Amino acid sequence: MTTFSMTDTPRAGRAIAALGALSAVLLAVATFGVFLVAPEDAASGVIQRIFYFHVSVALVSMLAFMVACIAGIVHLRRGGDGSDDVSLASIAIGLMLAVLTVITGSIWAKAAWGFWWRWDDLRLVSFLLIILLYAAYFVLRGSADESRQARFGAVYAIFAFAAVPLSFYAVRTARSFIHPVVVTSKGADMPGTMLVWFLISVVAFTALFVTLLLVEVQQRRAARALEDVKRRLEARSATPTGGH
Amino acid sequence: MSRVRQLRALVRKDVLLEAHTKETIVAMALFALVSMVIFQFAVGQRAGDSSLIAGGIIWATVSLAAVLGVGRTWVPEREQRVLDGLLTAPVARLTMFMARAIVLTLFLLAVEVVIVPLGIVFFTRQIAPSDLALMAGVCVLANLCIAVAGTLLASMSVFSRARELVIPVLLLPALVPVVIAASGATQAVLGPGTQLAEYLGYCRFLAVYAAVFSLVAYATYDHVLDD
Repeated sequence: MTTFSMTDTPRAGRAIAALGALSAVLLAVATFGVFLVAPEDAASGVIQRIFYFHVSVALVSMLAFMVACIAGIVHLRRGGDGSDDVSLASIAIGLMLAVLTVITGSIWAKAAWGFWWRWDDLRLVSFLLIILLYAAYFVLRGSADESRQARFGAVYAIFAFAAVPLSFYAVRTARSFIHPVVVTSKGADMPGTMLVWFLISVVAFTALFVTLLLVEVQQRRAARALEDVKRRLEARSATPTGGH
Repeated sequence: MSRVRQLRALVRKDVLLEAHTKETIVAMALFALVSMVIFQFAVGQRAGDSSLIAGGIIWATVSLAAVLGVGRTWVPEREQRVLDGLLTAPVARLTMFMARAIVLTLFLLAVEVVIVPLGIVFFTRQIAPSDLALMAGVCVLANLCIAVAGTLLASMSVFSRARELVIPVLLLPALVPVVIAASGATQAVLGPGTQLAEYLGYCRFLAVYAAVFSLVAYATYDHVLDD
Protein backbone atom coordinates (compact mmCIF):
# COMPACT_ATOMS: atom_id res chain seq x y z
CA MET A 1 0.00 0.00 0.00
CA THR A 2 1.28 3.45 -0.83
CA THR A 3 1.71 5.60 2.21
CA PHE A 4 0.78 9.22 1.93
CA SER A 5 3.07 11.64 3.57
CA MET A 6 1.77 15.11 4.28
CA THR A 7 5.27 16.50 3.80
CA ASP A 8 5.16 15.34 0.15
CA THR A 9 2.20 17.54 -0.62
CA PRO A 10 3.79 21.01 -0.76
CA ARG A 11 6.73 19.71 -2.80
CA ALA A 12 4.46 17.88 -5.25
CA GLY A 13 2.22 20.94 -5.40
CA ARG A 14 5.17 23.19 -6.22
CA ALA A 15 6.36 20.77 -8.95
CA ILE A 16 2.88 20.67 -10.48
CA ALA A 17 2.57 24.47 -10.35
CA ALA A 18 5.98 24.88 -12.02
CA LEU A 19 5.15 22.36 -14.74
CA GLY A 20 1.72 23.90 -15.24
CA ALA A 21 3.30 27.34 -15.70
CA LEU A 22 5.83 25.88 -18.16
CA SER A 23 3.04 24.17 -20.12
CA ALA A 24 1.04 27.41 -20.26
CA VAL A 25 4.05 29.37 -21.53
CA LEU A 26 4.92 26.69 -24.10
CA LEU A 27 1.31 26.51 -25.33
CA ALA A 28 1.16 30.30 -25.59
CA VAL A 29 4.46 30.39 -27.53
CA ALA A 30 3.25 27.56 -29.80
CA THR A 31 -0.07 29.33 -30.49
CA PHE A 32 1.74 32.60 -31.22
CA GLY A 33 4.23 30.89 -33.53
CA VAL A 34 1.67 28.76 -35.34
CA PHE A 35 -0.67 31.66 -36.12
CA LEU A 36 1.72 34.57 -36.53
CA VAL A 37 5.17 33.28 -37.47
CA ALA A 38 4.91 29.95 -39.30
CA PRO A 39 4.62 30.31 -43.10
CA GLU A 40 1.21 29.71 -44.64
CA ASP A 41 0.82 26.56 -46.70
CA ALA A 42 0.40 27.62 -50.33
CA ALA A 43 -2.03 24.83 -51.22
CA SER A 44 -4.32 24.61 -48.15
CA GLY A 45 -4.20 28.17 -46.77
CA VAL A 46 -4.95 29.06 -43.17
CA ILE A 47 -6.68 25.75 -42.28
CA GLN A 48 -3.35 23.96 -42.58
CA ARG A 49 -2.35 25.64 -39.31
CA ILE A 50 -4.60 23.24 -37.42
CA PHE A 51 -2.08 20.56 -38.42
CA TYR A 52 0.34 21.77 -35.70
CA PHE A 53 -2.21 21.04 -32.98
CA HIS A 54 -3.91 18.05 -34.62
CA VAL A 55 -0.72 16.04 -35.10
CA SER A 56 0.84 17.13 -31.79
CA VAL A 57 -2.25 16.04 -29.86
CA ALA A 58 -2.32 12.74 -31.77
CA LEU A 59 1.35 12.05 -31.00
CA VAL A 60 1.00 12.94 -27.31
CA SER A 61 -2.10 10.71 -26.99
CA MET A 62 0.01 7.82 -28.32
CA LEU A 63 2.69 8.75 -25.77
CA ALA A 64 0.05 8.64 -23.03
CA PHE A 65 -1.09 5.16 -24.09
CA MET A 66 2.53 4.00 -24.15
CA VAL A 67 3.09 5.35 -20.62
CA ALA A 68 -0.10 3.53 -19.53
CA CYS A 69 1.18 0.28 -21.05
CA ILE A 70 4.57 0.59 -19.35
CA ALA A 71 2.88 1.47 -16.02
CA GLY A 72 0.66 -1.61 -16.54
CA ILE A 73 3.71 -3.83 -16.99
CA VAL A 74 5.30 -2.33 -13.86
CA HIS A 75 2.07 -2.91 -11.93
CA LEU A 76 1.89 -6.57 -12.95
CA ARG A 77 5.53 -7.12 -12.00
CA ARG A 78 5.73 -5.14 -8.77
CA GLY A 79 2.17 -4.33 -7.72
CA GLY A 80 1.40 -1.20 -5.72
CA ASP A 81 -1.03 1.66 -6.24
CA GLY A 82 1.43 4.11 -7.80
CA SER A 83 1.81 2.40 -11.18
CA ASP A 84 -1.94 1.81 -11.37
CA ASP A 85 -2.58 5.50 -10.74
CA VAL A 86 -0.18 6.42 -13.56
CA SER A 87 -1.76 3.87 -15.92
CA LEU A 88 -5.31 5.01 -15.20
CA ALA A 89 -4.50 8.71 -15.41
CA SER A 90 -2.51 8.25 -18.63
CA ILE A 91 -5.37 6.44 -20.32
CA ALA A 92 -7.87 9.08 -19.20
CA ILE A 93 -5.68 11.90 -20.57
CA GLY A 94 -4.75 9.90 -23.70
CA LEU A 95 -8.42 9.29 -24.41
CA MET A 96 -9.20 12.98 -24.02
CA LEU A 97 -6.36 13.83 -26.43
CA ALA A 98 -7.58 11.16 -28.89
CA VAL A 99 -11.04 12.75 -28.85
CA LEU A 100 -9.37 16.12 -29.47
CA THR A 101 -7.47 14.56 -32.40
CA VAL A 102 -10.72 13.41 -33.97
CA ILE A 103 -12.38 16.81 -33.42
CA THR A 104 -9.45 18.77 -34.91
CA GLY A 105 -9.17 16.21 -37.73
CA SER A 106 -12.84 16.59 -38.45
CA ILE A 107 -12.55 20.39 -38.62
CA TRP A 108 -9.61 19.99 -41.01
CA ALA A 109 -11.57 17.52 -43.14
CA LYS A 110 -14.51 19.93 -43.34
CA ALA A 111 -12.28 22.79 -44.47
CA ALA A 112 -10.22 20.69 -46.88
CA TRP A 113 -12.87 18.44 -48.43
CA GLY A 114 -16.20 19.92 -47.36
CA PHE A 115 -17.22 16.99 -45.17
CA TRP A 116 -16.98 16.59 -41.41
CA TRP A 117 -16.21 12.90 -41.77
CA ARG A 118 -14.58 10.74 -44.40
CA TRP A 119 -14.21 7.01 -43.93
CA ASP A 120 -11.21 7.05 -46.23
CA ASP A 121 -9.33 9.44 -43.94
CA LEU A 122 -6.84 7.10 -42.34
CA ARG A 123 -6.07 9.10 -39.21
CA LEU A 124 -9.66 9.95 -38.32
CA VAL A 125 -10.85 6.36 -38.63
CA SER A 126 -7.85 4.94 -36.75
CA PHE A 127 -8.37 7.36 -33.89
CA LEU A 128 -12.07 6.54 -33.74
CA LEU A 129 -11.09 2.88 -33.29
CA ILE A 130 -8.55 3.83 -30.64
CA ILE A 131 -11.17 5.85 -28.76
CA LEU A 132 -13.49 2.82 -28.75
CA LEU A 133 -10.63 0.57 -27.64
CA TYR A 134 -9.63 2.77 -24.71
CA ALA A 135 -13.18 3.77 -23.72
CA ALA A 136 -13.73 0.05 -23.02
CA TYR A 137 -10.95 0.28 -20.38
CA PHE A 138 -13.24 2.35 -18.17
CA VAL A 139 -16.15 -0.04 -18.72
CA LEU A 140 -13.92 -2.95 -17.63
CA ARG A 141 -12.62 -1.11 -14.55
CA GLY A 142 -16.06 0.13 -13.64
CA SER A 143 -17.60 -3.31 -13.66
CA ALA A 144 -14.74 -5.21 -11.97
CA ASP A 145 -14.50 -5.75 -8.21
CA GLU A 146 -12.30 -3.27 -6.42
CA SER A 147 -9.67 -5.95 -5.73
CA ARG A 148 -9.32 -6.71 -9.45
CA GLN A 149 -9.57 -3.23 -10.97
CA ALA A 150 -5.87 -2.42 -10.95
CA ARG A 151 -4.80 -5.87 -12.20
CA PHE A 152 -7.36 -6.03 -15.01
CA GLY A 153 -6.66 -2.39 -15.86
CA ALA A 154 -2.97 -3.21 -16.24
CA VAL A 155 -3.65 -6.24 -18.46
CA TYR A 156 -6.04 -4.23 -20.61
CA ALA A 157 -3.59 -1.30 -20.91
CA ILE A 158 -1.04 -3.76 -22.36
CA PHE A 159 -3.64 -5.46 -24.57
CA ALA A 160 -4.97 -2.18 -25.96
CA PHE A 161 -1.52 -0.79 -26.68
CA ALA A 162 -0.71 -3.96 -28.64
CA ALA A 163 -3.93 -3.41 -30.61
CA VAL A 164 -3.04 0.20 -31.55
CA PRO A 165 -0.47 -0.51 -34.33
CA LEU A 166 -2.60 -3.42 -35.59
CA SER A 167 -5.64 -1.12 -35.84
CA PHE A 168 -3.61 1.52 -37.67
CA TYR A 169 -2.28 -1.03 -40.11
CA ALA A 170 -5.66 -2.67 -40.67
CA VAL A 171 -7.34 0.66 -41.40
CA ARG A 172 -4.51 1.51 -43.80
CA THR A 173 -5.06 -1.72 -45.72
CA ALA A 174 -8.82 -1.21 -45.81
CA ARG A 175 -8.97 2.33 -47.11
CA SER A 176 -7.42 4.30 -49.89
CA PHE A 177 -4.80 6.58 -48.49
CA ILE A 178 -5.78 10.16 -49.30
CA HIS A 179 -4.65 11.90 -46.13
CA PRO A 180 -1.81 14.34 -46.72
CA VAL A 181 1.30 12.45 -45.61
CA VAL A 182 3.40 14.93 -43.68
CA VAL A 183 5.36 12.65 -41.38
CA THR A 184 6.49 9.56 -43.24
CA SER A 185 8.88 6.77 -42.35
CA LYS A 186 11.58 8.82 -44.06
CA GLY A 187 11.03 11.72 -41.64
CA ALA A 188 9.10 14.97 -41.71
CA ASP A 189 8.33 16.45 -45.10
CA MET A 190 7.95 20.17 -44.31
CA PRO A 191 9.97 23.37 -44.47
CA GLY A 192 12.35 24.16 -41.58
CA THR A 193 10.27 26.92 -39.91
CA MET A 194 7.15 24.77 -40.00
CA LEU A 195 9.09 21.92 -38.41
CA VAL A 196 10.31 24.18 -35.57
CA TRP A 197 6.76 25.29 -34.68
CA PHE A 198 5.50 21.75 -35.02
CA LEU A 199 8.16 20.52 -32.57
CA ILE A 200 7.35 23.34 -30.14
CA SER A 201 3.67 22.29 -30.29
CA VAL A 202 4.62 18.68 -29.57
CA VAL A 203 6.76 19.73 -26.59
CA ALA A 204 3.96 22.02 -25.30
CA PHE A 205 1.36 19.26 -25.42
CA THR A 206 3.82 16.79 -23.86
CA ALA A 207 4.36 19.23 -20.98
CA LEU A 208 0.58 19.59 -20.64
CA PHE A 209 0.24 15.80 -20.54
CA VAL A 210 2.88 15.45 -17.82
CA THR A 211 1.24 18.23 -15.77
CA LEU A 212 -2.22 16.66 -16.04
CA LEU A 213 -0.76 13.24 -15.24
CA LEU A 214 0.88 14.56 -12.06
CA VAL A 215 -2.30 16.37 -11.01
CA GLU A 216 -4.41 13.26 -11.53
CA VAL A 217 -1.96 10.93 -9.76
CA GLN A 218 -1.66 13.36 -6.85
CA GLN A 219 -5.43 13.68 -6.68
CA ARG A 220 -5.88 9.90 -6.53
CA ARG A 221 -3.24 9.63 -3.81
CA ALA A 222 -4.96 12.34 -1.81
CA ALA A 223 -8.36 10.65 -2.23
CA ARG A 224 -6.89 7.38 -0.97
CA ALA A 225 -5.26 9.10 1.98
CA LEU A 226 -8.57 10.79 2.82
CA GLU A 227 -10.37 7.44 2.70
CA ASP A 228 -7.70 6.04 4.99
CA VAL A 229 -8.17 8.84 7.50
CA LYS A 230 -11.97 8.44 7.36
CA ARG A 231 -11.67 4.70 7.98
CA ARG A 232 -9.37 5.26 10.95
CA LEU A 233 -11.69 7.89 12.42
CA GLU A 234 -14.69 5.59 12.01
CA ALA A 235 -12.77 2.72 13.62
CA ARG A 236 -11.79 4.99 16.53
CA SER A 237 -15.34 6.24 17.06
CA ALA A 238 -16.67 2.65 16.93
CA THR A 239 -14.21 1.45 19.58
CA PRO A 240 -15.70 1.63 23.10
CA THR A 241 -13.77 4.20 25.08
CA GLY A 242 -14.20 2.42 28.43
CA GLY A 243 -16.32 3.50 31.41
CA HIS A 244 -17.36 7.11 32.11
CA MET B 1 -0.46 -35.25 -15.49
CA SER B 2 1.45 -33.77 -18.38
CA ARG B 3 0.44 -30.42 -19.77
CA VAL B 4 -0.71 -31.95 -23.07
CA ARG B 5 -2.99 -34.40 -21.25
CA GLN B 6 -4.39 -31.59 -19.12
CA LEU B 7 -5.04 -29.57 -22.25
CA ARG B 8 -6.73 -32.52 -23.94
CA ALA B 9 -8.88 -33.17 -20.85
CA LEU B 10 -9.98 -29.52 -20.64
CA VAL B 11 -10.85 -29.32 -24.34
CA ARG B 12 -12.67 -32.66 -24.12
CA LYS B 13 -14.71 -31.41 -21.14
CA ASP B 14 -16.02 -28.39 -23.07
CA VAL B 15 -16.60 -30.28 -26.31
CA LEU B 16 -18.52 -33.05 -24.50
CA LEU B 17 -20.56 -30.49 -22.60
CA GLU B 18 -21.48 -28.80 -25.86
CA ALA B 19 -22.15 -32.14 -27.59
CA HIS B 20 -24.72 -32.93 -24.89
CA THR B 21 -26.52 -29.60 -24.87
CA LYS B 22 -25.66 -28.16 -28.34
CA GLU B 23 -26.78 -24.84 -26.88
CA THR B 24 -23.88 -22.60 -27.82
CA ILE B 25 -23.13 -23.63 -31.40
CA VAL B 26 -26.79 -23.73 -32.44
CA ALA B 27 -27.45 -20.33 -30.87
CA MET B 28 -24.31 -18.87 -32.49
CA ALA B 29 -25.20 -20.24 -35.93
CA LEU B 30 -28.80 -19.03 -35.74
CA PHE B 31 -27.67 -15.64 -34.48
CA ALA B 32 -25.17 -15.38 -37.35
CA LEU B 33 -27.85 -16.35 -39.87
CA VAL B 34 -30.30 -13.76 -38.54
CA SER B 35 -27.58 -11.10 -38.55
CA MET B 36 -26.75 -11.97 -42.15
CA VAL B 37 -30.40 -11.51 -43.15
CA ILE B 38 -30.53 -8.18 -41.29
CA PHE B 39 -27.35 -6.98 -43.02
CA GLN B 40 -28.78 -7.99 -46.38
CA PHE B 41 -31.92 -5.91 -45.82
CA ALA B 42 -30.03 -3.04 -44.19
CA VAL B 43 -27.26 -2.62 -46.75
CA GLY B 44 -27.17 -5.52 -49.21
CA GLN B 45 -30.28 -4.54 -51.14
CA ARG B 46 -28.85 -1.10 -51.85
CA ALA B 47 -25.51 -2.46 -53.05
CA GLY B 48 -25.52 -2.87 -56.80
CA ASP B 49 -23.41 -6.02 -56.81
CA SER B 50 -23.84 -7.97 -53.57
CA SER B 51 -20.72 -10.05 -54.25
CA LEU B 52 -18.72 -6.90 -53.44
CA ILE B 53 -19.99 -6.87 -49.86
CA ALA B 54 -20.12 -10.66 -49.29
CA GLY B 55 -16.85 -10.80 -47.33
CA GLY B 56 -17.84 -7.88 -45.14
CA ILE B 57 -21.25 -9.33 -44.29
CA ILE B 58 -19.85 -12.81 -43.56
CA TRP B 59 -17.19 -11.51 -41.16
CA ALA B 60 -19.40 -8.92 -39.49
CA THR B 61 -21.87 -11.71 -38.68
CA VAL B 62 -19.15 -14.13 -37.55
CA SER B 63 -17.65 -11.50 -35.23
CA LEU B 64 -21.05 -10.78 -33.68
CA ALA B 65 -21.69 -14.51 -33.24
CA ALA B 66 -18.23 -14.81 -31.70
CA VAL B 67 -19.15 -12.25 -29.05
CA LEU B 68 -22.14 -14.40 -28.18
CA GLY B 69 -20.02 -17.55 -28.07
CA VAL B 70 -17.20 -16.01 -26.03
CA GLY B 71 -19.64 -15.01 -23.31
CA ARG B 72 -21.59 -18.24 -23.45
CA THR B 73 -18.62 -20.59 -23.06
CA TRP B 74 -17.89 -19.08 -19.65
CA VAL B 75 -21.39 -19.64 -18.28
CA PRO B 76 -20.87 -23.19 -16.87
CA GLU B 77 -17.52 -22.07 -15.45
CA ARG B 78 -19.32 -19.49 -13.36
CA GLU B 79 -22.82 -20.83 -12.76
CA GLN B 80 -21.79 -24.41 -12.01
CA ARG B 81 -18.66 -23.22 -10.23
CA VAL B 82 -16.38 -25.15 -12.61
CA LEU B 83 -13.87 -22.31 -12.45
CA ASP B 84 -13.50 -22.63 -8.69
CA GLY B 85 -12.58 -26.30 -9.14
CA LEU B 86 -10.19 -25.57 -11.99
CA LEU B 87 -8.45 -22.79 -10.09
CA THR B 88 -7.73 -25.09 -7.15
CA ALA B 89 -6.53 -27.92 -9.46
CA PRO B 90 -2.81 -28.06 -10.30
CA VAL B 91 -3.35 -26.79 -13.84
CA ALA B 92 -1.22 -23.99 -15.27
CA ARG B 93 -3.24 -20.86 -16.07
CA LEU B 94 -1.77 -20.83 -19.55
CA THR B 95 -3.05 -24.38 -20.16
CA MET B 96 -6.52 -23.19 -19.19
CA PHE B 97 -6.16 -20.28 -21.59
CA MET B 98 -5.05 -22.53 -24.45
CA ALA B 99 -7.88 -25.00 -23.82
CA ARG B 100 -10.47 -22.23 -23.89
CA ALA B 101 -8.99 -20.69 -27.03
CA ILE B 102 -8.96 -24.08 -28.79
CA VAL B 103 -12.59 -24.73 -27.81
CA LEU B 104 -13.64 -21.30 -29.07
CA THR B 105 -11.76 -21.90 -32.34
CA LEU B 106 -13.60 -25.21 -32.76
CA PHE B 107 -17.00 -23.63 -32.01
CA LEU B 108 -16.35 -20.86 -34.50
CA LEU B 109 -15.29 -23.39 -37.13
CA ALA B 110 -18.51 -25.31 -36.56
CA VAL B 111 -20.52 -22.10 -37.06
CA GLU B 112 -18.54 -21.16 -40.16
CA VAL B 113 -19.14 -24.57 -41.73
CA VAL B 114 -22.78 -23.47 -41.91
CA ILE B 115 -22.50 -19.71 -42.29
CA VAL B 116 -19.71 -19.28 -44.86
CA PRO B 117 -21.26 -21.55 -47.54
CA LEU B 118 -24.63 -19.89 -46.92
CA GLY B 119 -23.03 -16.46 -47.28
CA ILE B 120 -21.39 -17.54 -50.53
CA VAL B 121 -24.71 -18.88 -51.85
CA PHE B 122 -26.61 -15.76 -50.75
CA PHE B 123 -24.23 -13.10 -51.97
CA THR B 124 -22.12 -14.52 -54.80
CA ARG B 125 -23.06 -16.25 -58.00
CA GLN B 126 -20.46 -18.99 -58.11
CA ILE B 127 -17.29 -20.18 -56.46
CA ALA B 128 -14.59 -22.57 -57.61
CA PRO B 129 -13.89 -25.58 -55.33
CA SER B 130 -10.25 -24.49 -55.01
CA ASP B 131 -11.45 -21.16 -53.59
CA LEU B 132 -13.20 -23.02 -50.78
CA ALA B 133 -9.79 -24.22 -49.56
CA LEU B 134 -8.59 -20.61 -49.52
CA MET B 135 -11.71 -19.66 -47.55
CA ALA B 136 -10.95 -22.42 -45.03
CA GLY B 137 -7.51 -20.85 -44.54
CA VAL B 138 -9.07 -17.43 -43.75
CA CYS B 139 -11.52 -19.07 -41.34
CA VAL B 140 -8.79 -20.88 -39.38
CA LEU B 141 -6.61 -17.77 -39.08
CA ALA B 142 -9.47 -15.41 -38.22
CA ASN B 143 -10.78 -17.89 -35.65
CA LEU B 144 -7.39 -18.04 -33.99
CA CYS B 145 -7.36 -14.24 -33.75
CA ILE B 146 -10.88 -14.08 -32.34
CA ALA B 147 -10.21 -16.97 -29.93
CA VAL B 148 -6.99 -15.53 -28.51
CA ALA B 149 -8.31 -11.97 -28.03
CA GLY B 150 -11.75 -13.23 -26.99
CA THR B 151 -10.46 -15.65 -24.37
CA LEU B 152 -8.17 -13.08 -22.77
CA LEU B 153 -10.86 -10.40 -22.59
CA ALA B 154 -13.66 -12.77 -21.56
CA SER B 155 -11.51 -14.13 -18.72
CA MET B 156 -11.53 -10.64 -17.24
CA SER B 157 -15.16 -9.84 -17.93
CA VAL B 158 -16.34 -13.14 -16.43
CA PHE B 159 -15.58 -11.66 -13.01
CA SER B 160 -17.33 -8.38 -13.74
CA ARG B 161 -20.78 -7.41 -12.62
CA ALA B 162 -22.44 -6.88 -16.01
CA ARG B 163 -20.43 -9.32 -18.11
CA GLU B 164 -23.02 -9.59 -20.91
CA LEU B 165 -22.55 -5.88 -21.50
CA VAL B 166 -18.82 -5.79 -20.91
CA ILE B 167 -17.81 -8.56 -23.36
CA PRO B 168 -19.08 -6.87 -26.56
CA VAL B 169 -17.76 -3.47 -25.49
CA LEU B 170 -14.31 -4.96 -24.85
CA LEU B 171 -14.13 -7.45 -27.68
CA LEU B 172 -15.64 -5.70 -30.71
CA PRO B 173 -13.17 -2.78 -30.95
CA ALA B 174 -10.31 -5.30 -30.72
CA LEU B 175 -11.91 -7.40 -33.47
CA VAL B 176 -12.21 -4.58 -36.00
CA PRO B 177 -8.74 -5.28 -37.50
CA VAL B 178 -9.68 -8.97 -37.78
CA VAL B 179 -12.93 -8.12 -39.56
CA ILE B 180 -11.06 -5.77 -41.93
CA ALA B 181 -8.40 -8.37 -42.80
CA ALA B 182 -10.72 -11.39 -42.96
CA SER B 183 -13.20 -9.47 -45.16
CA GLY B 184 -10.34 -8.33 -47.38
CA ALA B 185 -9.04 -11.88 -47.75
CA THR B 186 -12.55 -13.22 -48.41
CA GLN B 187 -13.16 -10.53 -50.99
CA ALA B 188 -9.85 -11.40 -52.66
CA VAL B 189 -11.19 -14.94 -53.04
CA LEU B 190 -14.87 -14.27 -53.80
CA GLY B 191 -14.39 -11.16 -55.92
CA PRO B 192 -13.84 -11.20 -59.66
CA GLY B 193 -10.71 -13.32 -60.25
CA THR B 194 -8.86 -14.66 -57.20
CA GLN B 195 -6.18 -12.17 -56.16
CA LEU B 196 -3.66 -14.39 -54.46
CA ALA B 197 -1.12 -11.72 -53.49
CA GLU B 198 -3.79 -9.65 -51.76
CA TYR B 199 -5.18 -12.77 -50.08
CA LEU B 200 -1.76 -13.74 -48.73
CA GLY B 201 -1.14 -10.21 -47.46
CA TYR B 202 -4.35 -10.24 -45.41
CA CYS B 203 -3.60 -13.76 -44.15
CA ARG B 204 -0.15 -12.63 -43.03
CA PHE B 205 -1.77 -9.78 -41.12
CA LEU B 206 -4.16 -12.23 -39.39
CA ALA B 207 -1.20 -14.46 -38.45
CA VAL B 208 0.66 -11.46 -36.99
CA TYR B 209 -2.46 -10.41 -35.03
CA ALA B 210 -2.85 -13.91 -33.56
CA ALA B 211 0.86 -14.04 -32.71
CA VAL B 212 0.87 -10.61 -31.02
CA PHE B 213 -2.12 -11.35 -28.81
CA SER B 214 -0.83 -14.85 -28.02
CA LEU B 215 2.29 -13.14 -26.69
CA VAL B 216 0.21 -10.65 -24.71
CA ALA B 217 -1.83 -13.54 -23.27
CA TYR B 218 1.32 -15.52 -22.48
CA ALA B 219 2.75 -12.55 -20.60
CA THR B 220 -0.39 -11.52 -18.71
CA TYR B 221 -2.73 -14.49 -18.27
CA ASP B 222 -1.28 -15.58 -14.94
CA HIS B 223 -2.35 -12.19 -13.58
CA VAL B 224 -5.87 -12.46 -15.01
CA LEU B 225 -6.73 -15.58 -13.04
CA ASP B 226 -4.62 -14.67 -10.05
CA ASP B 227 -7.25 -15.57 -7.45
